[in-house]
Amino acid sequence: MSQILGLAVLFLLLNLVAGLWRVARGPTAADRMLAALLFGSTTVAVLLIMAEWMTMPALRSVALLFVMLAGIVTIAFFGLPAGDDER
Amino acid sequence: MLSSHLIDLVLALGMVVLALQVVSERAVLRSIILFVVFGLVMALAWTRLKAPDLALAEAAIGAGVTGALMMMAWRRLLIINPREPADTPRGRSRVAIPVALLAAALVATIGLSALFIDPPTDTAGRIALDEMVDTGLGNPVTGVLLLFRNLDTLLEMAVLLIALLGARAISKPAHPNEAAVVETGTPLVGALLAILVPLSILISTHLLLAGTNEPGGAFQAGAVLAAGGVALVLTARLQPGDRPGVIAQVAVTAGLVAFIGIGVGVMAFGETLLVLPDTWAVYVIETAMMVSIGLTLVLLFAGAPALVGRRT
Amino acid sequence: MSMQEWVALALLIAGCFFYLAGTIGLLRFGDVHSRLHALTKADNLGLMLVCAGLAVLAADWRTSALLVLIWLLGLLAATVSAHLIARHARRDGK
Repeated sequence: MSQILGLAVLFLLLNLVAGLWRVARGPTAADRMLAALLFGSTTVAVLLIMAEWMTMPALRSVALLFVMLAGIVTIAFFGLPAGDDER
Repeated sequence: MLSSHLIDLVLALGMVVLALQVVSERAVLRSIILFVVFGLVMALAWTRLKAPDLALAEAAIGAGVTGALMMMAWRRLLIINPREPADTPRGRSRVAIPVALLAAALVATIGLSALFIDPPTDTAGRIALDEMVDTGLGNPVTGVLLLFRNLDTLLEMAVLLIALLGARAISKPAHPNEAAVVETGTPLVGALLAILVPLSILISTHLLLAGTNEPGGAFQAGAVLAAGGVALVLTARLQPGDRPGVIAQVAVTAGLVAFIGIGVGVMAFGETLLVLPDTWAVYVIETAMMVSIGLTLVLLFAGAPALVGRRT
Repeated sequence: MSMQEWVALALLIAGCFFYLAGTIGLLRFGDVHSRLHALTKADNLGLMLVCAGLAVLAADWRTSALLVLIWLLGLLAATVSAHLIARHARRDGK
């Protein structure tokens, strides 16, 4: 079971890396922020699995924090003027 | 196990690649988003290094508050100096990557040479871990921060206060609409706040109280409080004000005052300076520190001396 | 492996599958709104399945309650974030 948890973490991390392509591509600012949202959600899942895999229950608190902060960064992003990015 | 090696490899490579991109990317918004992502990956790296306290701090401060802060700064720059989408710089800076690699080589040299030194048998860390049994605390990080090296923590609180005073000295009087990005009528945001803000108070209290025995502590708790406060500032529920009230001034200095008060006060009872009497002192100081750190971070974010409730 | 572990394994694999679906949607769909749609739905479902699998694995009500809380918060944050990003994209004229 422990090995399967490790593989799950690896799989999700590779998903994260794949998402970087969208951050690079764009084309709009919303696309890049969207990819960052993906990263946040994937990181929460990775942290929760690692909490079980590495037996560190504190990681669930870290996951909780991440979920809270994803909303805040998006609110800050919302304030950026429209059109702030290349087409 | 092979998968753990691969995970560490992906994280390490990812951090290097992200860092190079953050530094060399010319378009600022892209850099900011990449920086937030970098913070996420770094928090994962801290967990792999079995440092959950650092992962907590990185999540709250590095990924969250700093990301929001940079976006707000960029927004204000764009308000002062508007630009067309066509003006967005493309490509990468040529100078940044060689400089970054040079700096990385320097750090790597120092780090690698430290790896090859034989550690002495009687390190301060080992002595601290032995002493932890007598202190009644379960978390060695809190032990180091508040008992063994509390002079450093005291000075950090002083630095935070000085930073706030410095920022106050050079910032213009705040325009009420500048700090908020969301018009008050935007749907769904109110619902998010109604859950996030009380939750941030709950979680910060939990982190504070749990910090003596589990990962947590005053810094992480203060950062979570700051995150809740930042959410309020961003959505115009708290607006920049001109004159700090008495409560705000007390709250901002509470951490430093409590620390110095107890640290010097023990001398009246015959103890040495800054030798804290018991765990109650740790709780009192940590609570005061949490309040100060949280409020200072929110004030620095809003760029104003004070915060007032919504005036509209 | 016990029955409990088999169930958790199935839930985890399903969760990872949905995360993969979300990533594919992010990379392949043609418009920011459709990417938003694919990503938010798939990722939240994936998170739910992962949390369910881990709760089964942990078999402890405190941990399970915390996992449920994290999932619900994730749902809330993702919903509001998706809405705000879509509004921002619409201001762009997209």
